[in-house]
Amino acid sequence: MKDLLSSLFPANDFSLIAVVMALPLLGAFVNGVFGRRLGKDAVRLMTLAVTGASFAAAIATFIALDSAVAGTRTTEMVTEHGGAAAHEVVKHGHAKLVWTAWEWMRTSGLRDVSIPIDLKFSVDALSGVMMLVVTGVGFLIHVYASSYMEKDKAYWRFFCYLNLFVFSMLVLILADNLPVLFIGWEGVGLCSYLLIGFWYDKTPNAAAGKKAFIANRIGDFGLLCGMFLLVYYTGALDWTGIANGAQNLVSPSDAAQVHLWPIGGGQFQDASFGGLRVPLSWLQPNKAWTITGATAVSLALFLGCTGKSAQLPLYVWLPDAMAGPTPVSALIHAATMVTAGVYLICRLSFVFVLSPPVMMMIAFTGALTALFAAILALVQNDIKKVLAYSTVSQLGFMFLGVGVGAFTAGFFHVFTHAFFKACLFLGAGSVIHAMHVRVHDDDRSQDMRNMGGLRKFMPLTFGTFVASTLAIIGFPLTSGFFSKDEILAHALVNTPVNPYAAQLTARHIDVWQAPGWMSWMLWGMGVVAATLTAFYMCRAVFMTFFGDFRGWTIGRPSQVLAKSGKHSAADDDGPADHEAGEGDHDGHHHEEDLSMPGPPPAESPRAVTIPLIILGTAAIVAGLFNPGMIKMISPHFDFLPMDNWLEPVFEEASKGVRLPEEHTMHSREWISTVAAFLAFAVGTYVAYWAYVVQKGKHEVAYLSGATKLAAGFSGVLFVVLGGVILGVNAKEAFTVHMIVPWALVLGGIWLAYHCVKERAVGLDYVYDRSIVVGVDALADTAASVDQGLVDFIIARLTALIVAALGTVLRVVQNGVVHVYAAMMVLGLAIVGWFFIQPHADATVADLGNGDYVVSAAPGTGYGYRWFPDAKGAPQNEKFGPGDSLKVHLDEGTSKTVKVEVKNSFSNALDLPVVRWLFPPTPAKEVTMSRPKVEKPVKLELGER
Amino acid sequence: MIPVEYYVALSAILFTIGGIGFLVRRNVIVTLMSIEIMLNAVNVAFVAFNRSRFDNHTGQIFGFFLIAAEAAEVAVGLAIVLSLFRVRRTVRSDEADLLKN
Repeated sequence: MKDLLSSLFPANDFSLIAVVMALPLLGAFVNGVFGRRLGKDAVRLMTLAVTGASFAAAIATFIALDSAVAGTRTTEMVTEHGGAAAHEVVKHGHAKLVWTAWEWMRTSGLRDVSIPIDLKFSVDALSGVMMLVVTGVGFLIHVYASSYMEKDKAYWRFFCYLNLFVFSMLVLILADNLPVLFIGWEGVGLCSYLLIGFWYDKTPNAAAGKKAFIANRIGDFGLLCGMFLLVYYTGALDWTGIANGAQNLVSPSDAAQVHLWPIGGGQFQDASFGGLRVPLSWLQPNKAWTITGATAVSLALFLGCTGKSAQLPLYVWLPDAMAGPTPVSALIHAATMVTAGVYLICRLSFVFVLSPPVMMMIAFTGALTALFAAILALVQNDIKKVLAYSTVSQLGFMFLGVGVGAFTAGFFHVFTHAFFKACLFLGAGSVIHAMHVRVHDDDRSQDMRNMGGLRKFMPLTFGTFVASTLAIIGFPLTSGFFSKDEILAHALVNTPVNPYAAQLTARHIDVWQAPGWMSWMLWGMGVVAATLTAFYMCRAVFMTFFGDFRGWTIGRPSQVLAKSGKHSAADDDGPADHEAGEGDHDGHHHEEDLSMPGPPPAESPRAVTIPLIILGTAAIVAGLFNPGMIKMISPHFDFLPMDNWLEPVFEEASKGVRLPEEHTMHSREWISTVAAFLAFAVGTYVAYWAYVVQKGKHEVAYLSGATKLAAGFSGVLFVVLGGVILGVNAKEAFTVHMIVPWALVLGGIWLAYHCVKERAVGLDYVYDRSIVVGVDALADTAASVDQGLVDFIIARLTALIVAALGTVLRVVQNGVVHVYAAMMVLGLAIVGWFFIQPHADATVADLGNGDYVVSAAPGTGYGYRWFPDAKGAPQNEKFGPGDSLKVHLDEGTSKTVKVEVKNSFSNALDLPVVRWLFPPTPAKEVTMSRPKVEKPVKLELGER
Repeated sequence: MIPVEYYVALSAILFTIGGIGFLVRRNVIVTLMSIEIMLNAVNVAFVAFNRSRFDNHTGQIFGFFLIAAEAAEVAVGLAIVLSLFRVRRTVRSDEADLLKN
């Protein structure tokens, strides 16, 4: 098998990659163009065949990659602890299978270096795993969706988009350079937009799609800037080239710095406008504010990642994206697309580690997002919203991992998260499907307060949902337990350092070092977020599957009778309704449904449950790919396939991490492990107590309290941001420079107070009151300028001028042919006069050596009279045909020459009428001057 | 031999007569006749100037073309006058002001 693969597809022309990618594209094409006529069965066959075959091709690719990696494997003996125990360590080289589709374009970089940008794809250890996840999980979700979307009219359109998404995601993963990655990046953004707004006839869905698109555009701007900077500094855009040129990013030379202020490294000087002095020099800092190229590139790329991976401050689109069909939420907005940001950071890890401040920023953003989203998840009643915020929170964990330099841990969490979150979403979809059969209402069938006791009705969904919940809350030995614990442990242990710190310090250049309290702060936020995760996920499970089914009360005839008179039946379907004020009831209720109680909820068909079982199993066992915790307990345990597999990819990046001494490290790892377990235990127990022991009777009080907490935390974010800046610059915390962080702290406190008062959960409120209001005001201004200036003054004025001219000219158009003829004669006379009247013009040509030729412009029958000196007498009294004059000038002199022009008409008829009509002899004076040439002084060396 | 200036003067006088007639007279038939006079004045000038050219007969040939053009122009012009007369019962150009304003 391996031999066949390697003989069919050589490593440098591995066209099997094309098969993996092209099959979903083919499916998208066929479903999109012919799907409507082919019918549902054909569309289902097509979409499952292409994704299944793509998965098979991906497995074959992975096998080939494995044998390529095996070719680079070396074994060395390592002795530990003073040579007491020696054991073998297997090392992998960095193997890569490459396929170039075609040469796309070339661009020239610095110093005219030609930079090829090819449509080139490659698969290595990192992208290989990602490719398997995308095609594998993607295939399962396609199977699920083929049943879930059964009733939809636009079945073909859905699978066209979904296949197109798989293709774009594969382009993103397998790209060998940034521009190709960008194609995939934009492609998945497009598919995300199309699928969020899949039911586009509902306004909130269309708005959610638009919101996702706009938030992603902000991030994409960052990614584009990052590309420009990379090509400027490293002179390459492909992974190998960037790695080779990466050290230019930390070059200490002034030219390699990015000047933030003054912009571009200019100087501010006082300006004066007509005596009015404008003092600008005070804007000039003593020392230019610069960042290194590495920091600039990493910041720009990280902005792209925050957009795509829904991190603070751009996370707002992901919860709204749940408006799309549930398989879309599972595939795009949980398992694959949103992890693209983590993938990009892993892919360019060797760039990010060059800038420890940005690494710390990534870790902070991740930890804050994990915590913030977990708090927001506490107050959600919509089961999909809980999972959406949980996704944001888990993405935060991944960013925390990669931010502290634990790229393998972060990526391992991407891997495990794909299984358990896809399973959770698909399970939620199964639940919603069952509820919808009964409730016939989109919002209420997703509301957990209408569920309860579903485990009796849907045992398979229940089992898989619980399995993946155990994974996400970190139940020991499940996949999430290993991956999340590893991230937390690394957050406490790792410190990002500049790999070139020694060289830079030797040149007396300050190197930023992260303060020690940061690790504890990051870790603390992570542990709190993990506790909250355990609580809100268990809350979701208990509310959905335990207790009694509360859905019986929906649609009872007695309720219809009681409420139909008030005409507000839709707004109010339970005593605990809408304390949280999510505002997602948008009047899409069908009152007639109330009189039609549907059947009790039932288990979903096999096409839904089989993917659930597979994913649920994977959610439990996938942790065995990297059980790092076990290694901590027994040092000789070295079954860490993922670590070993990814080691060559992150070899360069591992230089950017400093580990403490072994004994500190071990104690910290233990602290972290115990805390992670406690987080799981505490969160789970509190949820168990509240929802099983107390049967949820404190729900109203809980929601009101948690809403206040969640609302206040929006402001706390700003306080933390300002506080961290102040903490890093603790020595100058009370100087004028620190006005911005102080403003953040005070503004955050004010905002927290305000949000709690308004019960405004999440940053949407903040954005609505700042950016949206600003844009609205700008639009209003533009509209009033348009109405007042353009429509009123410019348009009316133009119309007035045209009307006035029309009134004047209308008098002339009196229908009498003779008047028209007279006009024609008059016009002809004027044109004729212009042609007959001679025009004087002259140009000077420098022949060198002081010789100039003045040439007069030619004309029919023209005669010329030249005055070699403008004030003197003419050369010839008579006008002659000579149309040029030669003049010689000495150095440093100047001369004015005059030429008079007559045409043959004015020559021939010297009558008074003619003289009056054609004023005689127009003249033109030309001045020319020859500059004095300074003779260069010859430097003689003296004769020998 | 009569000098060329005389022909040119004749041509200028004829052209002026034709031009003034075209601008002043209101009868469309007379207007057409005035146009003919102007064209013929041009013809006279063409032929007269051609006398100074011994090597070719461009001016005279051009005269023939002009005569042909005049014939066509009169045919069209008279047809227009006829249809104008049918519509408005007049051949006075100042009463044919359908295109006014």
